[in-house]
Amino acid sequence: MTRPAITTLDMLLIAIAIAALPLAYQQLWGPNYRGTEVNILVTGQENQRHSLLRNQTLTVNGKLGDSVIRIKNGKAAFINSPCANKQCIHSGWLDRNGDTTACLPNRITLSVVGNGIARYDSVNF
Amino acid sequence: MSANTKAISNSIASQRHDHIIAWFAALAIAIHVLESVIPSPLPGIKIGLANIVTIIVLVHFGWRTAAWVSLLRVLIGSLIIGSFLSPTFVLSLSGACASLIVIGLAYTLLGDKLSALGYSVLAAIAHILAQFWAAYWLFIPHDALFHLLPVLLTVAIITGIVNGILALAVQKRLKPLIYESIHTDEQPAKSSQ
Repeated sequence: MTRPAITTLDMLLIAIAIAALPLAYQQLWGPNYRGTEVNILVTGQENQRHSLLRNQTLTVNGKLGDSVIRIKNGKAAFINSPCANKQCIHSGWLDRNGDTTACLPNRITLSVVGNGIARYDSVNF
Repeated sequence: MSANTKAISNSIASQRHDHIIAWFAALAIAIHVLESVIPSPLPGIKIGLANIVTIIVLVHFGWRTAAWVSLLRVLIGSLIIGSFLSPTFVLSLSGACASLIVIGLAYTLLGDKLSALGYSVLAAIAHILAQFWAAYWLFIPHDALFHLLPVLLTVAIITGIVNGILALAVQKRLKPLIYESIHTDEQPAKSSQ
């Protein structure tokens, strides 16, 4: 029986395992999670889908009035909304697949969709 | 040696072997149950201190004994904690089986070229991967689960290293005399199998 001691193969194994870790992060947290399109849902209206690739400013008519949604450089955000506390604007720019925000008073939901794995399954308010 | 004396010495040897399994399984179960009391920072993350026993048994007594100790620990540990046949038990069992298969293969191929540290890291990685797949296929078949995998792997490597270092420390502290006596007693049982 050999005396208990760390062997070269141990170190090699640990080195490989640690070296492979960033790869796992890259594969599973990587850029596949960027969204490609934005889905705008307004109660009582058809869904709207817009590509995130084209920069544009949309005006969406909700229950209270017009909300302004801007799509810029692959990100989307509420720019203006007629609601009281502007939660939707404060959630900022959304770019990852599954990112969702909503202006509840105005009945508008904004969510990013893509081909990869969504970050959230569903969101309850 | 007559057939009769050989049979007697065999039965004594296998009794010794049973005792070794029982001692180490009892130790592993105690650690397993005590560890279940320690709150974990995140659900599903555990140091797995009981695996230190499995690794030490593997290095000293071979794979068969380690498999016995590990599976007995999962079974009896779950009966004591009260998680028998629950999802926790299924995850625990799948992790234990996968690490036993992986360290079994590594032990056959590499033997002494890996120390307790190497086996511990291998076992930890196999353990978490099997648990992850079991959780994915049986309980949460949702793709978003994969986001957890890198974090779980990181934790597995860290706990594998920590457990491995602890196993080496325990090995060094095992009194050489006692260890030798257990070990030489073990030899006939091994050769008779």
